[in-house]
Amino acid sequence: MVFVNLFRESGKFRLGSIITLLLIVLALLHQPLVEWRIGNADPMKVGSFPIFLDPSGEHWLGTDRFGRDVVSLVLIALPISLTVAFLAGAISTTLGVVIGFVSGYKGGRIDAVLRTITDMFIVIPTLPLIIILAANTRNLGSVKLALVLAFFSWPVAARVIRSQVMSLRERPYIELSKMTNLSDREIIFGDILPNMAPYVAIGFAQASVGSAFALVGLTVLGLGPSSQMDLGRIISEALGYGVISLGKELIFVAPVVLLILLFLGLALVSQGMEEFFNPRLRGQV
Amino acid sequence: MSGSIMQLDNVTTIFGAGSGATVANDRVSLEIAESPPRLLSIVGESGSGKTTAARTLLGLQPPTSGRALWRGKDIYRLSRREMVQFRHEVQAVFQDPYGIYNPFYKINRVFDMTIRKFGLAASRKEREERIREALEVVSLRPHDVLGRYPHQLSGGERQRVMLARAYLLKPKVIVADEAISMLDVAVRAVIMNILIDFKDELGISTVFITHDLSAAYYLGGDIMVMRRGQVVETGDVDTVLKAPSHPYTQLLLESIPSPDPDDRWEIGAGELGTLERQAGVAAQ
Amino acid sequence: MMPATTAETQRAHRQGDAPLLEIENLAIHFRSPKGVARVVDGTTLTIHRNEIVGVAGESGSGKTTLVEALLQIVRFPNRETRGRVMFTTRAGQKVDLMQLGPRQMRRLRLDEIAYVPQGSMNSLNPVVRVGTQIVDGMVDHGVGEREARRRVPGILERVGLEPRVAKLYPHELSGGMKQRVIIAIAISMNPALIIADEPTTALDVNVQRRILETLSRLRDELGVAILMVSHDLPVHAQLVDRVAVMYAGQIVETGDVRSVVKTPLHPYAKGLMQAIPSITKPRERLEGIRGTTPSPFAWPDGCRFHNRCPYAMEVCANVPPFIAGVRAGQRETVDGVMDVQPGREVACHLYPESTPDAEATS
Repeated sequence: MVFVNLFRESGKFRLGSIITLLLIVLALLHQPLVEWRIGNADPMKVGSFPIFLDPSGEHWLGTDRFGRDVVSLVLIALPISLTVAFLAGAISTTLGVVIGFVSGYKGGRIDAVLRTITDMFIVIPTLPLIIILAANTRNLGSVKLALVLAFFSWPVAARVIRSQVMSLRERPYIELSKMTNLSDREIIFGDILPNMAPYVAIGFAQASVGSAFALVGLTVLGLGPSSQMDLGRIISEALGYGVISLGKELIFVAPVVLLILLFLGLALVSQGMEEFFNPRLRGQV
Repeated sequence: MSGSIMQLDNVTTIFGAGSGATVANDRVSLEIAESPPRLLSIVGESGSGKTTAARTLLGLQPPTSGRALWRGKDIYRLSRREMVQFRHEVQAVFQDPYGIYNPFYKINRVFDMTIRKFGLAASRKEREERIREALEVVSLRPHDVLGRYPHQLSGGERQRVMLARAYLLKPKVIVADEAISMLDVAVRAVIMNILIDFKDELGISTVFITHDLSAAYYLGGDIMVMRRGQVVETGDVDTVLKAPSHPYTQLLLESIPSPDPDDRWEIGAGELGTLERQAGVAAQ
Repeated sequence: MMPATTAETQRAHRQGDAPLLEIENLAIHFRSPKGVARVVDGTTLTIHRNEIVGVAGESGSGKTTLVEALLQIVRFPNRETRGRVMFTTRAGQKVDLMQLGPRQMRRLRLDEIAYVPQGSMNSLNPVVRVGTQIVDGMVDHGVGEREARRRVPGILERVGLEPRVAKLYPHELSGGMKQRVIIAIAISMNPALIIADEPTTALDVNVQRRILETLSRLRDELGVAILMVSHDLPVHAQLVDRVAVMYAGQIVETGDVRSVVKTPLHPYAKGLMQAIPSITKPRERLEGIRGTTPSPFAWPDGCRFHNRCPYAMEVCANVPPFIAGVRAGQRETVDGVMDVQPGREVACHLYPESTPDAEATS
């Protein structure tokens, strides 16, 4: 019910979720779309077509230096990028919620320990560490990559959740529940958790954006999974061959546009939710 | 100790430690007997410790020293079973009629939870009957509140729902902490009338926490005036307000704005702050 | 009834010829997905120089929205304003506040009209000394910093604070002192009008009393006019000259505070007076006003109070009464036959002056 109102009232959320959904639909339909573009050919296979073809009815965005159809490449890269981003987002949000919840609800020493760990993770320079980890991990697939990314991005979510739990814990209605003899468990699941849903959703959107960013950072540096094509790798390969000086910018314009749409979509979703749920940002009446 | 439902015995509550410590309650004692039922107003300004005393009575704020007793037992050492019994007999109405409701749920949950946790109804039909009866007592029609979300009700309606909830339990004591201060003037009397009727018709005592002497007067019964954690004066409300024995009570009394424009304060009457100095409060 | 003092007569005389702020038929509507909220609807109110006018009403009556919109502190994109608010500037010029751009409005604010919003005592900057916060306001309005600093002790004294308070930080002050600092900022540029929204709410009663005394003194000493919003009728009774009672976005009664409190004409005003417990009255059961305040998205037809009104007649449900001056003298009121003072206005069909002519409505 809340999300229906959110969709109706927040233009940002509406636009953001439509963009994100379109990207997801595109990713889900990548197989039939690739088939429609290049038939049964393997989009990754080198030399299927002449190299560096200009855009045409056949190849809307031309071909790259290995003679691969750029549209098909982008189509198979999109689901990989999305999977890693959302998977990392989900893992990191789950970690963040659990740790933030325990920290905020229990308080005291447990909170102090968890907070120190969280702060440490926030302070350490994550990108170099991720680079080292990624460079030294064998058979780096999307799942492993998502795990690595999530491992470094949960602290932000944990912090937000912790402060939310701490504020919700002090609400008068918790006191009423205590007066009604509700147990701790009933209070956590009945009173606190439902009111956290928007913050969990915001955390997920933000963690996904962060992971998508980090993934591009890695693959543009050439540290992504070698067996898979993702949007960052297309850019990396294109730049590595100097397509700009060859006047073939279109090869990396397509993945860049998709990435921008992904960031924009998720950022709008999370901003829309923040404005909607945070009364201070929301203004009056 | 027989015959006493609730008692604060020399309760001292200190928040914080060291130089930053605040003494919220300083040797506060009071007693509510099983019968006759009684209306007791605890009056004081902000920081007087009246809310701390209320929370101590409700089992929400363990005292630093002294004892808070329910039927002679320490409220903060009750067994699980005794706790259920205690909550059944001692209930609360809080200040903020907005924050007291979880915005996520409809009003019904307040009743459903209370009935379920205290085993007040055996069947669905009995439950509905009970809720209907409780709403009637506070002059609310079921379709005005049931199935609605808290934000769809006015402050007065929400506070009446809280009283209906308390009525379900037929408690011995209701602790009402500034229960009317956030309500519109036009509905304050309605809430106080319900508390008066609870006492007269159901034998429910009320501990009424307020900063408003005229509300305490309207409610009647007894009054306890607090200042900086201490009880400065206590007694029958008419006697205390007619002839206050403590300068602080005097100050509170003279500070009530009169609704009569012909009865205005004389500006600069006496030396500014004399009353405050006598009463031991800041003149600013 | 107490005879008016000479000072009051003089003031009344001065008021007569010098309107300072004239709110004319002001309407403030908000558009939202739920529809249009007519929060303030057709409000007319005049404040004269050196006069204290109170706006009374319950939550949801539109009183805060009214004063907020006067100075356009917040410019809501979905807010629509109609009507005029004529303000007479120091230079004797009449300007319509609703037509001013943000820059002209900023110049007028503090300089000629000071606004003290509700709860503003908690909005002092916690890391800046109180004196500097007063100076900053003046410097923003073109006073030299040295000159501004020189004036601070005098300003503080005016609001009943010692000069040493200038060196303190907000957290070192009590609630009442903070409110005094806010008032000090408000009078720093010597404005002609102070608009104060619930200036004593959330203060302890003795502090409230002292703040009200201070406001009253400022009016006498500085000749400033005050427009005060408060839900608390006794507060109005203690401070204001004239009071306007708002209900459901409209002013339903105005007049000299003494006569409005003693002989309310509007049933709602009467209900409000009767709902206040008083320690000077014998203890008798108060009934309050039945029903609840309607929603600004759907005000009732006819008189907006009719479904809560014990005096409601058939006409009340259909024809909205308009606010009109009532004939003075002995006449029938909600309280029986009373002596009605001149200068009273009411919007209620119990008074024929409020009912539009039959030909006009049919």
